[in-house]
Amino acid sequence: MRFLSPLSLAWLGLLVPLVLLYVLKRRRDEKKVASTMLWEQALEDLRAESPFKRLMPNLLLLLQALAIIFAAVALARPVGVGGVPDGAQIAVVIDTSASMAATHGDGTTRLAQAKRRVRDLIDGLPPGGALMIVSAGGEPVVTRALSRDRDALFSALDALEVEGGGSDLEEAVAVSSERLRDAPSGSRVVVLTDRAADGSIDLAATVPLTLISVVDEGGREPENTAIVSADAHPRATEESPDRTELFLRVARFGATPADVFVTARVEGRGLVASRRVTIAAGETESILMTADLPPDPDGRAAVLTFAIESDATDDLALDDLAVIPSPAARRVPVFLVGDAPSSVRRVFRADRGVELYATSLERLAQREEPLTGLVVYAGEVPSEPPPGPSMVIAPTEDAVFGATLAAAVEQPEIIQWAETDDALRFVSFADVHLRSARPIESSSVTSLAELRSGPVIARQVRSDGETTLVSFDPDQTDWPRRPSFVVFFRNVLESARQRLREGGVAASALGQPLRVPVAEGAEVEVVSPSGRRYTAVSRGGLAVVDVDAVAGVFQVDADGRSLHALRNLLNPEESELRPRLEIAEHGEELVARASGATTPRESWPYFVFALLLLIAIEAFVSTRRA
Amino acid sequence: MTLLDPDFIRRLEQLRLQVRRKLAGAGAGARRSTRRGASVEFADHRAYSPGDDLRRVDWNAYARLGELILRLYVAEEDITVYLLVDTSRSLDVGEPKKIEVAKRMAAALGYLALAGSERVSIVPFSDRVRAPFPPARGRKRVAPMLKYLDALTPDGETNLDKTVETFLARRPRKGLVVVLSDLLDPGGYARPLDRLIAERHEVAVFHILDPSELEPEQGDFVLVDSERGTRVDVSVDARVLAAYRKRLEAFLAGARAWAKKRGAHYSLVQGHDLEAALLEYLRAG
Repeated sequence: MRFLSPLSLAWLGLLVPLVLLYVLKRRRDEKKVASTMLWEQALEDLRAESPFKRLMPNLLLLLQALAIIFAAVALARPVGVGGVPDGAQIAVVIDTSASMAATHGDGTTRLAQAKRRVRDLIDGLPPGGALMIVSAGGEPVVTRALSRDRDALFSALDALEVEGGGSDLEEAVAVSSERLRDAPSGSRVVVLTDRAADGSIDLAATVPLTLISVVDEGGREPENTAIVSADAHPRATEESPDRTELFLRVARFGATPADVFVTARVEGRGLVASRRVTIAAGETESILMTADLPPDPDGRAAVLTFAIESDATDDLALDDLAVIPSPAARRVPVFLVGDAPSSVRRVFRADRGVELYATSLERLAQREEPLTGLVVYAGEVPSEPPPGPSMVIAPTEDAVFGATLAAAVEQPEIIQWAETDDALRFVSFADVHLRSARPIESSSVTSLAELRSGPVIARQVRSDGETTLVSFDPDQTDWPRRPSFVVFFRNVLESARQRLREGGVAASALGQPLRVPVAEGAEVEVVSPSGRRYTAVSRGGLAVVDVDAVAGVFQVDADGRSLHALRNLLNPEESELRPRLEIAEHGEELVARASGATTPRESWPYFVFALLLLIAIEAFVSTRRA
Repeated sequence: MTLLDPDFIRRLEQLRLQVRRKLAGAGAGARRSTRRGASVEFADHRAYSPGDDLRRVDWNAYARLGELILRLYVAEEDITVYLLVDTSRSLDVGEPKKIEVAKRMAAALGYLALAGSERVSIVPFSDRVRAPFPPARGRKRVAPMLKYLDALTPDGETNLDKTVETFLARRPRKGLVVVLSDLLDPGGYARPLDRLIAERHEVAVFHILDPSELEPEQGDFVLVDSERGTRVDVSVDARVLAAYRKRLEAFLAGARAWAKKRGAHYSLVQGHDLEAALLEYLRAG
């Protein structure tokens, strides 16, 4: 119980004068009598009649003291006891970050504990009350709008899974409080989180906010051993052209060290490397292993699976496994379609990691299998973009894959470019002079470099691939003389290489659905690392498959094509399970509570009622005594 | 006002005249004894037994019935009136103080007895028998008696048992023992008074209580026992008062019942109401 006006408890000080007055009032007059014999007998008779009568002399004092206490407590406006008012609405924000998959001492996960508490809230919904469920993952999602349907709420609650993309509690609370803006009195936002994140946030809810901690408060300190990063780089030697260096960083979170056995496996080949290391508490160890990783028979890069095993306590399993594509030992195929500018041909030819093919639109049209590699169109472009990565340079058509090109601008100047984009890393257009260029007019592209009249380099992202569009002829500029020209094409190549290594399904966070590019209406089947099967039908060229929040390789059969999707946590902030996120509400620290079953509700009317009852009892007793 | 005050003596004289009028014919000194003996007033017959005085044989009855029957006569004699006056501290309360009531009552009874040519002895007591006023007869002893009574002051605790034991140990002549007391003796009054009766004394009890004891006031008090010093915290409200009255009535009823059962006289004396109690006693004979 807490008080909205705790200073009013100072009225309890009235107890002191009351007791003093009572003591003074009870000072009896001394009276000499012949004998107290009859009085003693009479009093004994009364005691025998009712043993409680012995308390009668103090009853009035007790009643008066209770009256003062109840009055003071009522004035202090106690809250904290009572249920949710009728018609109140509750928005439940559940942290679904990966750390919520951590287990407690009793084997349940934090997410399961949060779900149990939300179940209590659903069960305790008042008449006319409604509840909504908001999943606070990387992006907040209202998984169930305000509803009184308990079954629907339970169903939405059960479907919640953790995600690997962190937790945006601020946005989730903002969304929730916005939904409750006009909710009746007693409505509130309930946030359930383990606060296992760095930093601090300020929740600006417009309705009362309750923060519930789902950390195992009574249990031990959480401990976790986690793979926090993994990588592989080719280091070809004369003896082994497929020699690869495997990099791994393993962290130990908690208070005790851990002996960890690290393994690296390749599908179809089994164990390729292993190492045993001891990691001190709170430390991170870097591990370097080597292995020979030739490309698989299909020409794809193999998938490396890192796993750690340890006898030490490990509360989170999601980060005990990491999958990465091994570096492609084979070169990236680049198909030059049409008469590519000489500078472009030169830059691809100069790259040792590229296997360059020259072809034409007519020859491509005769091919049944889709191309696996980077397709570079120069001049003419097909009506439909190819799946996978592609590039269009100096198109001659007015429309390119849905984007339109404006009339050429003479002597244009590139005024700004997206320096932070991966494609433009270390690329500068300063002192680059164009003879002419056609601004791209389309809202569906992302501008990478632009003139005053519009973009001239842009990226078009589709469900099954992406196209980098360069609307001018590099040969008609002095750009090829700059180092940034080579860097730009290497960046585009690296992006294509990464996409090919990943198996053809775009990367996304753990727990996010797989988005598989496939023909409209085609069925996609996915097998999760745990062997669970999922199916989905493509809509709009993309099959969205909801899969388990587990790390590993998801095998995808997309209309006959065999793809794979890799999912990892690899997030030290999520692997550190200790609560440390500081949460404030409008600048004031918000204290987490262990339970959310109660709602602050003023209960002074009960005390006033009790006070009136006491006064009535005292009046009755006083009358009887008189 | 002392007992030697002329007003009080005048009141005693008025009381004596009043008694005479009320008890017309019952002359002073002609008190009827409980013992039968040789006097002119016939009392009863009984069968003759060897050793009886043959002068008392009713020969007329013998002539009619052929049996020896003795005539019995009421023995008229001057008896000794013992006034056992309670002077314990429990009588040092009330308005007027109960000791004053007891002394005036004793003075009145003593005066009437001396005026009736009877012998009077005053035995003050508390937890022991104090120096008594020795048996005396005649009006001339009125003044010394009153002076003696006037000098009595309350002291000690009530102990009737010990008092009667001491009193009887002096082997007093059989007579009328008038007990003037509030009977508030934790040891009880029945046993010692029974002993007096067993010793063939006639017993009369004047139970002296103050009106404040019969009708206590309400309020929060610490009641202090005048004899034992016991302190009792009590809030006298209606409920407590009812319990007290119940106990008091039982106490009074017990005293009356004892007197009735033993053929003794019992009067409750409250405050100044001496005359009424005296007349009640004298009328009862």
